[in-house]
Amino acid sequence: MNAKLKLFLKFLGYACAIFVIFGPISSIVLWSLAQKWYWPHLFPQELGLFYWQKVLGGNIMHSLALSFYIAILVTLLTLLFTVPMSYLLARYKIPAKGLILTLFLLPQAFPQLPVFTNAMVLLYRWDLVGTMPGVVLIHLVGALVYSVWTLVSVFRSIPIALEEAAINVGASKLRVFFTIALPNAIPGIIAASLLVFLYSLDEFTGTLLIGSPFITTMPIYMYKTAMGYEMQVAAITALLLMLPGLLLLFLIEKYLKSQYLATFGRG
Amino acid sequence: MTSVRTRIAGMALFVPAIFILSVLFVYPFFRSFIGSFRVNNHWGLQNYLTVMDLYKGDILYTLAISLASLLILLIFAIILGGFLRLKQNTVLEFLFKIPLFIPFVVVGHAMRVFLAPHGTLNAVLAALGLVNLQNPPSLAFSATGIVIALTWKNLSFALLMMMGAFRSIDDSYIEASYNMGAKSLRTIVSVLMPMAKGAIAVSAVLIFTSMIGSFSIPIMLGAGNGPQMAMVDLYYQIVYQNNYGAANALGVISYLLSMGAAIYYLRMVTTHER
Repeated sequence: MNAKLKLFLKFLGYACAIFVIFGPISSIVLWSLAQKWYWPHLFPQELGLFYWQKVLGGNIMHSLALSFYIAILVTLLTLLFTVPMSYLLARYKIPAKGLILTLFLLPQAFPQLPVFTNAMVLLYRWDLVGTMPGVVLIHLVGALVYSVWTLVSVFRSIPIALEEAAINVGASKLRVFFTIALPNAIPGIIAASLLVFLYSLDEFTGTLLIGSPFITTMPIYMYKTAMGYEMQVAAITALLLMLPGLLLLFLIEKYLKSQYLATFGRG
Repeated sequence: MTSVRTRIAGMALFVPAIFILSVLFVYPFFRSFIGSFRVNNHWGLQNYLTVMDLYKGDILYTLAISLASLLILLIFAIILGGFLRLKQNTVLEFLFKIPLFIPFVVVGHAMRVFLAPHGTLNAVLAALGLVNLQNPPSLAFSATGIVIALTWKNLSFALLMMMGAFRSIDDSYIEASYNMGAKSLRTIVSVLMPMAKGAIAVSAVLIFTSMIGSFSIPIMLGAGNGPQMAMVDLYYQIVYQNNYGAANALGVISYLLSMGAAIYYLRMVTTHER
């Protein structure tokens, strides 16, 4: 193959890849700036920030704040419930360990919607549908599973020799956890919490069922505006919604091992 | 050695997570089985008959869409993953990680506008002379649109799985293949692919399951009339018909279609925890 052709093919490959990835995203960027866009025109007749100003001054800010509030709460609760537990699962002989791990696999293995509709019936009984606690609880289901998976593998990847040495010189098990295991696991725990945060921020199915009609998080707001053909508002919401994920990808891509990522992104 | 008190304290750490998961996942999961066999306070198969009557076509439609997306993804991931294994390219690798971090609803909406008759895709294709804009094809609210959106969203996952598998193959096999005179594509198809057979099968099962259970993309891109994917039917049964029996029967069918992934995960636990 001659050099020119090779260069051309390489260029073509990059162009295709960029179009495949950014093509769909570019459509929403365009819509977010379109002040006037009548078909059959291929590009908006008038571009501007009018809708951005309008949307950012409106009730989207409420949804944005609500989404962040829920996501932070879910992340904190998840860490509290799963960090010590994952350590125990990774290091100790636990009765019925197989059963516990299987329990934490179930939500990965089956479709969520049919299960969540039945969970909704239960939450109705406890008056939790349409409330914050209800939404936080339904987010926790996915978040806990995801966090346990990640954290068990994080704790397992820390060499056990360090902890054994500390035990040999007489450190208590509690002290070993706080002074050796926990500090070594911090990078993994940060990665896990960022991904749990993102999971909660993007969660749609559970929130649609459990949160309606009072809890309108960003994904729900986006869905409603898109279905109502409020094109510019939906586009702006979509852009705001994808920002945290992209930021995360750029910031910590190096530290995210592929096994953490592989279980992410189902819904 | 460990005192009873420490043991109890240890067990207490498991309680919140297990409680939440049991009450909000395991119990509802079993309830959907029970609910699917309940008809007006009696036991019976009526719900399944209703579902078969109403949704046989939609279940086949769901299978067809899932299989089509899966096939495209596997071909893409094996070829691109293979090339990236043979020749590292961090730019492409990074680029194809992006879809994983875009929320499902955003993908759904982006595809609605991207694939619309006067959307960006047709604009570009028209500029290349491939599409006539007087009579533009609309992919947005069709099976093709759903396949494109599901494929796009799963690009990263498929590629990550495949590259993980290919990276665990030793360089010496690749060198041997090159020494025998094989080109890159040949090396991918006859060396990397057969050696990663197991991993390819696992990825296929996991991707297929997530497609069967997909909800947000099909509900945003599905046509108003015509076939729907199973999860959309289920949602409408709950919201518009308030028919939990039929919804649960549809749910149980979706569980059965997901058995492949369940078996894989179960085997993973049993082999790892010996």
